[in-house]
Amino acid sequence: MPNRISIRIDGELVQAERGQTIFEAAQANNRFIPGLCQFKGLSTVGACRLCVVEVQGVNRLLPSCTTPAQDGMAVITRSAKLNDYRRQALELLFAEKNHVCAVCVSNNHCELQAYAQRLGVTNVRYAYRYPRLKVDMSHPRFVIDHNRCVLCTRCVRVCNEVEGAYVWGVAGRGIGSRIACEMDRDWGKASACTNCGKCVQVCPTGALAEKGFAAEEMVKRQDLVERLATIRGTMNPGGSR
Amino acid sequence: MTKAPKARLATAWLDGCSGCHMSLLDVDELLLTLADRVTIVFGPLVDAQHFPESVDVALIEGAVSSQDDLRLAQTVRENSKFVIALGDCAVTSNVPSMRNSIAPTRLLERVYIAGADTQPGVPLENVPKLLRAAIPLHEVIKVDLHVPGCPPSAAAIAHVLTELLDGRKPDLSAVAKFG
Amino acid sequence: MTQRINDLSSFNAARAAGLRKLIPGVPRIAIGMGTCGMGNGAEAVYHAFADSIHNLGLGFHLTRTGCFGFCAEEPLVNVLLPGQPLVVLRRIQASDVPALLDHLAAGRIPAELALCKIEDWDHITATIKYGVGQPDIPHWHEVPFFKGQKKIVLRNCGLISPLEIEEYIAVGGYQALYEVLIDAKPEAVIEQLKAAKLRGRGGAGYQTGLKWEMLRKAKAERKFLISNADEGDPGAYMNRNEIEGDPHSMIEGMIIAGYVTGATEGLLYVRAEYPLAVHRLQQAMDQAREYGLLGRDILGRGFNFDIALVEGAGAFVCGEETALIRSLEGRAGRPTPRPPYPAEKGLFGYPTNINNVETWYNVAPIVVKGAAWFTETGSPKSPGTKVFSLVGKVQNTGLVEMPLGTPLKTFVYDIGGGATHGKAVKAVQTGGPSGGTIPQEMFDTPVDYETLAQLGSIMGSGGMVVMDEDNCMVDVARYFVEFTHSESCGKCTPCRAGLDQALRILNRFTHGEATDSDLDTLDELSRMIRDMSLCGLGQSAPNPVLTSMRHFRREFEDHVRAHRCRAGVCEELALSPCENSCPLHMNIPRFLQLLKEDRLEDAFLSVVLDNPLPASTGRVCQHPCDNRCRRSAIDDAVNMREVHRYIADSIYGTPRYEALIGRVVERRLPPTGRKVAVVGAGPAGLSCAYYCALLGHEVTVYDSNAEAGGMLRYALPDYRLPVEIIQHELELIRRLGVQFVFNTMVGRDLTLNELDAAHDVVFLSIGTWKESWVYLAGTELRGVLHALPFLESVNKDETTPLGRNVVVIGGGNAAIDSARTALRLGANVTIVYRRERKDMPAIREETEAAEAEGAKIVFLAAPHRIVDDGSGGIQAIECVKTTLGEFDRSGRRRPVPTDEILRVACDTVILAVGETVDLDFVKASGLRLKEGGTMLEVDRHTLLTSRPNFYAGGDLITGASNVSNAMGWGKKAARTIDQALMDDYRWPLIWPEFHYGMTVPAHPSNAGRHHTRELDPAERAATFAETTFPLAPVEAMEETCRCLRCDIRADH
Repeated sequence: MPNRISIRIDGELVQAERGQTIFEAAQANNRFIPGLCQFKGLSTVGACRLCVVEVQGVNRLLPSCTTPAQDGMAVITRSAKLNDYRRQALELLFAEKNHVCAVCVSNNHCELQAYAQRLGVTNVRYAYRYPRLKVDMSHPRFVIDHNRCVLCTRCVRVCNEVEGAYVWGVAGRGIGSRIACEMDRDWGKASACTNCGKCVQVCPTGALAEKGFAAEEMVKRQDLVERLATIRGTMNPGGSR
Repeated sequence: MTKAPKARLATAWLDGCSGCHMSLLDVDELLLTLADRVTIVFGPLVDAQHFPESVDVALIEGAVSSQDDLRLAQTVRENSKFVIALGDCAVTSNVPSMRNSIAPTRLLERVYIAGADTQPGVPLENVPKLLRAAIPLHEVIKVDLHVPGCPPSAAAIAHVLTELLDGRKPDLSAVAKFG
Repeated sequence: MTQRINDLSSFNAARAAGLRKLIPGVPRIAIGMGTCGMGNGAEAVYHAFADSIHNLGLGFHLTRTGCFGFCAEEPLVNVLLPGQPLVVLRRIQASDVPALLDHLAAGRIPAELALCKIEDWDHITATIKYGVGQPDIPHWHEVPFFKGQKKIVLRNCGLISPLEIEEYIAVGGYQALYEVLIDAKPEAVIEQLKAAKLRGRGGAGYQTGLKWEMLRKAKAERKFLISNADEGDPGAYMNRNEIEGDPHSMIEGMIIAGYVTGATEGLLYVRAEYPLAVHRLQQAMDQAREYGLLGRDILGRGFNFDIALVEGAGAFVCGEETALIRSLEGRAGRPTPRPPYPAEKGLFGYPTNINNVETWYNVAPIVVKGAAWFTETGSPKSPGTKVFSLVGKVQNTGLVEMPLGTPLKTFVYDIGGGATHGKAVKAVQTGGPSGGTIPQEMFDTPVDYETLAQLGSIMGSGGMVVMDEDNCMVDVARYFVEFTHSESCGKCTPCRAGLDQALRILNRFTHGEATDSDLDTLDELSRMIRDMSLCGLGQSAPNPVLTSMRHFRREFEDHVRAHRCRAGVCEELALSPCENSCPLHMNIPRFLQLLKEDRLEDAFLSVVLDNPLPASTGRVCQHPCDNRCRRSAIDDAVNMREVHRYIADSIYGTPRYEALIGRVVERRLPPTGRKVAVVGAGPAGLSCAYYCALLGHEVTVYDSNAEAGGMLRYALPDYRLPVEIIQHELELIRRLGVQFVFNTMVGRDLTLNELDAAHDVVFLSIGTWKESWVYLAGTELRGVLHALPFLESVNKDETTPLGRNVVVIGGGNAAIDSARTALRLGANVTIVYRRERKDMPAIREETEAAEAEGAKIVFLAAPHRIVDDGSGGIQAIECVKTTLGEFDRSGRRRPVPTDEILRVACDTVILAVGETVDLDFVKASGLRLKEGGTMLEVDRHTLLTSRPNFYAGGDLITGASNVSNAMGWGKKAARTIDQALMDDYRWPLIWPEFHYGMTVPAHPSNAGRHHTRELDPAERAATFAETTFPLAPVEAMEETCRCLRCDIRADH
């Protein structure tokens, strides 16, 4: 079997490697697909739904981060409907928690913000929920601010799959879901945490940050984690585990 | 050649830090051009007691936090053709929203009693009643354009005003960001 | 010691042993002990039988079965006397047992306790013949609830004991497994399933044969089979009853699948809330192992397959297959994206096949009877049957197994027996929280996978919830979204955050806080959740919203624009159930309380400001409030109509009247200078005029008659509404400054353009004075009258040529009024109505009064021709007897003509078969019509017609209705007219503030409902004077003390 396959992205014929997901194939060909839960080097979960695409012959939308690219597949990555849906998903995330960007450590270095800008979000049509959420400062070096969390679970996966410490998990369900440390204890009391900080670096927003930074100062070093994940993980050609 | 009649511009300051108004004043030499084309009929920048009728463009800064904010926002809407939510507080309720997870009575007690150095006591008279939450402008009135930013850059404001005065719908993608 | 079955002779021995238990040769008594039966006391019944049989030493065979399906009639008890048919007894309680045993011991079966009998039963895999006899008891398929049902899945439920494997073997159980193992052609089984087109019964409807084939082809060291018994839809309990009644059928299906697909391990995922099902399954598996049917070396053929049971913790999302697998693996039950599908990478990464409980039940029948037999039932794309749990607002509830493709109306009307309490069925929700609502107009829809999907619903696992007019569809959608919202796992954004927002928006609707833009936001959000969510839960969660917005958009709009919830469910939108149901939205609790406080004058003011014609409606209103009154849950509704009549009658004609009129006139707002024309001085026009005058406008009422009142004066007979009463009521309206112009017909004497030019606003409210055209031979004969002209001429004291023998055709109020009027003119009267008594639209009390006064009513007869007496007069009328056919769109059975002709000799025929508005004057006026030109088109919320400044209300926009409805429209029109004229909402300014007690009565009166006193029928029939007298003061007072004050809320 040849290793290279051909797929059509938004009408144009491009080459991809067998085993790549649609998301990876698009990225390899410099096609933009937004994605908050996807992270190079980590397994995919298909949870944020920003990366959904239309595939010809399939009557539902598919998450590009988990759907393998197949020879001859025709994919639409942008359309009015997709853009509207993705924008709605972003607005839902903004309304769900308290994203007060102006005072956020990750302001201007935030993936959520960047996608909102790129997809043309100008306001949130849904009522903000203003939930009361915890900021856990108990760790000596890091902080988790649940107000900014989008539940992408990158932290959970990097800790499990790359660091192997299994500190993070998801507690609760539905709208009450939240990232939890070990058996829902303070991060400072975590027994397995190695203080490696990978979770902080992969976090797309200001939910996980290093202490000591003021607004706009927290710039994540995702490339380092990516490289490490590549070495540790059993990688697909495109990068996902 | 007769000069086109000046557009009537109003501004309003709800729950915000006035930074957006500062940014408006930061448009530098455009102020001169604007002075030729618009009359500012209401707002912190001018001395008007009542919101006038038939305003062409209204810029509202700040979140809707109190009964007064709500009434002013509604008055602006009733009397203005084009209403702009100016800045993050008006667009997302931003910093003022940080009080929203606390009930207003508890909030007032915390600030005016627990946090008071002298004369602890919640002010009850001559102060507008707080709404349950500080909310974005578009949750209470129809907003025609959102100009995000904390504050929106002078360039963004200049762009919006010039485009509107020239009769075009402003495209903000290059000059403003969301959140 | 049981013997392992490993050859045909041991198999047959087990079968024979089972048959001896099924048909024991002594009386056999089997108690239906599913969860539904036990909930109704079946356990006590069982023990009562056990004790009595033991004490009496009767030697009867007593055993347990599952549920036979008719849950509403539980506890069901099967009785088999040797040589007789099996008889199903219903609603047996422990106290019935001694007497019952006496009968049985004497060889008798009490027919009055019997639901049905079964002479022989097709278990599909075998047939059991019981015996014949008991002619007084209907066959099971003659009972409406069972008619049309075909029991394939439920073939054994309620007949065999779920605790006895031998009974299962006796009815052909494990026969299929035996054949499959002997034949040793697994591919042939898959081919058979594919040919049978068996589709997954969990809801998605994927072909089972294809799924099995995939698993068979998968190469792996381990393969798994999973039975999904995580049934969690509200209102659905098919799987529970299937397992409780017949656990072996599922086990057998799984063992066959294991052999066919090469899987050696099976898992049952049963929710822990089903303890009885878990218990019976465990016992059944133990027995199957003992008999060598499960475990190692099955049937001695060297094939190994075992099943383990896992109890699920009850998360709805674990019904989704990938979440279920995660849950089995010991992880959190959150779905994962497909691909990879379980068939490639399932439980612990091994190929896995998941089928719903009910799918397994179809396997053995297909193996034994073949694909061709299976496809005979059901529709071409969806063969076979499906079990539905029919619940909600129908007479008969229970488990129903019907061929796929059966129309919805068969479920609702034929099996379910239609709505309860004479209400109208509005919709059916299929598929639970993942399904959609299907409105009554679409009940012809065949129930199969594709058709339901086209309507935006799903079949799901088979829940069917029937809703009637008391259900608010907005609230129903809100309820289901609340369910899915709390069951969302929270993994993907649309379902987690989207459903939360959808629920918030729906809550705004039910609280009356929603805006028009919420309708659009909810629609786009729902679509986004449907298309973007990760798993089936999120993808289907918006279905209830999308379908109810599609089919019941008006209800959503009413919640937003009119702040009304017609069903009266959304409490924030109504003062109280009575107020909500009142077309005039009278504040009923207020006038009751004011009278209770002995403040008659305030009570009158409250009444008359809510309703300008209280003495009239106090006599003739259809009183919809009675149906809503919560007091009726204790005894009977408060007699609200008679109390407000009492209040009005106590004031009219007394000196206090003058002073009170002054207090009403005081409420009039300052003159606005706006001119309003009202066309028609009937109840709608008078109400509109009254309120417009109160709001300060200058009002002129035009009418073609010589006096005001419309139908009140000219159509309602004097004995129901004396003309003096109308005079009193009109006086108040005149005193507010309303001008009347009589003998002026708009369209003839005055054009619409002239009206328009002279006024700011025109309100049209013309009644239905034009007779509907009926095709009936002989209507040209002398002596054929139409109801309204007849009533009108009597009211005007014109001489009416009425014969001795009168036949009235129709069943509405006009028919009854005509009949009672004719009686008073000395005629013999027969009323002919084509439907049944309960279908009559007339007020029930009126019909009863007519009968008491001597009118005969012939039901189920339709006029066929009026017979000529040879000289242009009438000799008789011939009617065709009808029978009741299918249910029509009104939810009533359609009368179908038979061959039987009924001839009634008569000389006069009064036709009261419906009236319409004469709309000739509308031609070329710019007013748009609807319903084939019989009604005016208006905006439902503003009552504005297609022509600016022209409003309309009453019969003109609804078709013939009644006084209170007409007044409600007039009142509403005044409100919207004022708002449009003044650009302000001034409506509340009319009412003064009433201060009255706002505490819930701790001890409401225990008295029963007080009825009005009447003269006796013979005296009544001789006079046109009013013969129904108002409540006595003490009675009226006691009625007010019966009110429970639903208007008072805990949070007030």
